[in-house]
Order: sequence, then structure tokens, then C-alpha cells
Amino acid sequence: MNTEVPGGDQPDTGLDDPPADGFVLRMLLGSQLRRLREAADITADQAGYEIRASRSKISRMETGRVGFKVRDVDDLLTFYGVTDEEARSRFLYLAKESSRPDWWTQYSDILPDWFENYLGLESASTTIRTFEIQFVHGLFQTEDYARAVTRLGHQSAPAEEIERRVGLRIKRQDLLARANPPRIWSVMDEAVLRRPVGGAAVMRAQLHHLIEVAKLPQVTLQVVPFARGGHAGASGTFAVLRFEEQYLPDVVYIEQLTGAVYLEARSDVEHYLEVMDQLSGEALTPADTARFIERAANEI
Amino acid sequence: MTSDDAAAPGSGTDGRAEPPPFDTSKAHQARMYDYLLGGKDNYAADRAVITAVLDIYPDMAFTARANRAFLGRVIRHLAGEAGIRQYLDIGTGIPTAGNTHQVAQEIAPESRVVYVDYDPVVLAHARALLTSDEAGATEYIDADLRDTGTILTQAAELLDFSKPVAVTLISILHALPDADDPHAIVAKIMAAVPPGSYLGISHAGSDLLNPEMVNSLEDAWRGKIQQQITWRTREQVLRFFAGTDLIEPGLVRVEEWRPDPGTSDTRRSAYWAGVGRKR
Repeated sequence: MNTEVPGGDQPDTGLDDPPADGFVLRMLLGSQLRRLREAADITADQAGYEIRASRSKISRMETGRVGFKVRDVDDLLTFYGVTDEEARSRFLYLAKESSRPDWWTQYSDILPDWFENYLGLESASTTIRTFEIQFVHGLFQTEDYARAVTRLGHQSAPAEEIERRVGLRIKRQDLLARANPPRIWSVMDEAVLRRPVGGAAVMRAQLHHLIEVAKLPQVTLQVVPFARGGHAGASGTFAVLRFEEQYLPDVVYIEQLTGAVYLEARSDVEHYLEVMDQLSGEALTPADTARFIERAANEI
Repeated sequence: MTSDDAAAPGSGTDGRAEPPPFDTSKAHQARMYDYLLGGKDNYAADRAVITAVLDIYPDMAFTARANRAFLGRVIRHLAGEAGIRQYLDIGTGIPTAGNTHQVAQEIAPESRVVYVDYDPVVLAHARALLTSDEAGATEYIDADLRDTGTILTQAAELLDFSKPVAVTLISILHALPDADDPHAIVAKIMAAVPPGSYLGISHAGSDLLNPEMVNSLEDAWRGKIQQQITWRTREQVLRFFAGTDLIEPGLVRVEEWRPDPGTSDTRRSAYWAGVGRKR
């Protein structure tokens, strides 16, 4: 990503300080604006002049670090020669959406920025493909399981904070009940089913919950059993998020201990997509997965 | 119902082939088609071949879209006027908008659709994305078109072969060389369904492009694609419909088969298409 230092040629007004919400939409919108600008052979200086702003503001818009004014986007689209009304209105819609406050702002005290960004991605996507090697995916966790996982990550946190974190995770699952929810296609290693996080009773309930979740029409679960030997997912847990708009690239999300990596360059994304495809082909079918989870629940 | 375990290699009665290895270094027909339709499930090698193809034959993109639209019109006709409630969709490909069961179940929610593909990764996409209306059902079979025994045995778990079935072979038969005797394969499948069943086919037509263009296309993708393409003449494609009566307008270019009113496009596809009703 372009990380040009802001404040080059014109003083900043301070109005552009990024609100945390909608980061990903801004990032996606910004990367498309950059693509259009470059395709039109226009420099950041020229684009900045067109909207009465600095080159650095264009740079910050294109990397999603500032909010968009709909008028600016409108002017830039015209300047870049985008005349198709449908394309223009999609862009303007995204620009508007990206400045809307999100439900998770009430949790901002416990949410690191990088995860807040992920929530934006998650709720804007139409398809989420995930590969899990350790824990059940956050969207599928029971409250007790989520509490056990949270305690593992925040050993010294007071009980009240743990409960707020669990609350956030459960609230996030509203996504599954939303009208027009994203499709979630999750492949998990058998280890996810076998590791009794929170003890046998919690894990058994979690597995029964997984069986129920798998019945939702927009959810697909697949397990890669130990018996399949080594598999393509040696890289660990990751997610690929896809968006409705044809011109928006897939985004790969990889969570780390103190932050997260977002990949959107096609060559990077394609590598992960390839691993995901291969895993999906190697894993048990959804029907066999349901039976497999049932068996795992009985064996705890 | 069907499981991966049940489809172990060698379990078929005739011509069971190993599934293709997952390979993104060579273009794949399902992924090239996905790219032409504006999908995102394709890789650099797929896009490179399509870019070369479009240089030679710019209307390939039109052909892909016209072929997709043909599938929609066929299923709408079969589910509507013809009253068909069972479908055997062989060569499913990567799901996109307006898949067989969606079109059929929109008209008749109780419609049952069996999807067949020989590529486990393509079929994994189908299983994840082609989920049925509650009133109907979808099932998925990992099988090569040449393995008619496996296809018919497993399809019989969901479909009632004493009632009419619509068999669709959309843009797949040209993946079989003459050595595989695709006409005999189609005949075997159609022998298993009762009179009043339907057969829908679209197929690359060697007599729809000039021979030099066909040669240039083959040069462009030689060694770079996983499936070979056998172009066939109208007469060869017509023979697939043996034992059926072609419904109006017969075997025509894919965009000319009962076009939606108001459709006018000067471009021409390179696919033959038709629907026959079994006698």
C-alpha cells in the first residue's frame, strides 16, 4: 500500500482525520479510484487540483485513510472520464456507505483498530470463505466457547471486560440473521473439532451448535479430517472476502497476535484463493461433514 | 446421499476416470467461462488464454453470455410450458447467477436437480453455493461424463426415472474427443429416461467460424488448457438428438434459440444449441 507521508504541498485542514468506520469500504473504493486515475493517465497532483485539494489528500483517499466527500468522488469520476451512470452511482453509493457509523463503535474501548476494520469488511461482503486450524470461526461460536477462547487471549482481564468481549462476539453473529446475509463457506481442520476448548461439556454444546449452523442455507461447513494426511492449508487460518461489485477485488485477511494483514493485490489474493480452492476440494462434502461433526460430538 | 467415499476410483461400471488434479498453471474450461461471465473464481492462466482468444475472436465473450442465457431460457421453458420437475445437469461448472435449480425452483419450487461435474473443486463450489429451495432438492455427483454408470446410479437416488427428466449438456460435449464416442454416451443417458424427457445441448460449432479462425484459436490455447476442444459441425451435433424430436426452432445458434422478446444483437456466437423431446 502507498504510505506517502501526508502534508506535502498544502496545509491540512484537520477535517480529514479518519473516522475508524467503513475503513475497508474506503480502502476498496480508494484502490478503485487509483486504478481509474492511473488508467486515465492523470497524476495525483492533477487530480488534487481538480478537487481543490493536495496531492497528499488524493494519496490518502486512495489508501482509505480519509473519508470521502460524495462531491469529491463525483468530480473525480468525471475528471477520470467515467461516464457510465450505473458505475458512477455504485461508486457514489459506496462513498456514502463508507461514512456511516457502524454498530461496533460502542465497543471501541475493547476493539483494536485492525479488528474494527475487519468487521467493516465482513459486513460489506457477499461471500466469506475461511480456513480454520485451531478454533471454531467467531461467527459460529457459542457464548460459552467464546468465553473460553476470550479467556485464553486475555488471561489477566477483569471479568467485566471478558463479558464485553464475549458480548461483542455474539452481537457480531447478528450478521447471520440479517436480511440478505453473506454466504459463509468455512473449511476447518479436524483439530478444531477435537480440541475441547472450555472443557467437554462446552465443546459438546459447541459441536451441536455447529451442526445447527450448518443447516442455515447461507452457511457451508467442510472438515478436512486427519485421515486426509497433509493438506494445502499449511499457512494457517485465513479468510477470503468477496464483494458484490465486479470491480472490487477479493480481500485476504490474516489475523496475527497484535494486528492483521489485508491483501488485495491480485497476485497475493490468488495464491490464497488457490489454497482455499484446493482445501475445499480435499475436504469432506458438507453432507459428510455434518455426520463427521455428529460423530466428533459423541466422542468427546 | 452421495458421498466422496462412495465414488472411489474404479467403482464405476464403465469408463470411470480419475478426477483431474487441481492445477492453476493451465487454463480450465470452467474457470475461463467464469472469467468471461465476469466471475472472480479464475486464475492468471485462465485469463491469459481468454485474452489471447478474445484477440482472435472478440465475440467469445458474447458466446459465453449467450450460452448462459440459453440455459436460462431452456430451463424456463421446461419448468413452465413443458412441466418438467427433474433435471440432470451434467457439466455444472462454477456457479454464477441463474443456475439450473434457481431458475427451475422459481417456477416450480419442488423441482429436483442433480448436478454433475468431474472436477472436485468445481463441484465443491456447486455444493457450497447451489443450495436448494426447501420444497425441492439438489444433489451433486462427482463423476466424469464418460462414466454414465456412476451418473445414472447416483442420480437415481434423487430422481425418479419413471417420470420425465431433463438432461442438460451445456457446453460440455465438445470437451470429449471423437475417440470417446460422445454420441454413444448421450444415447446411453437418454436410454435411461422415459419418453417425454428432454435433452438440451449447446456445442462449439466448427462450421460457425471460418477454418482459419478455428486454427488460430487452437494454436492460441495449445498446451495451455486442461480440456481439449473438439469442434463439431451442425450435422454432427444434430446426431446427438437421435431418438428425440427437436422442439422449435430446432438446432440453431445459441442466441437464436427462442430469444427473449426485444433482444437484438448483431453479434453471432460460435455455438450450436437445441432441445429435443424423447419419443
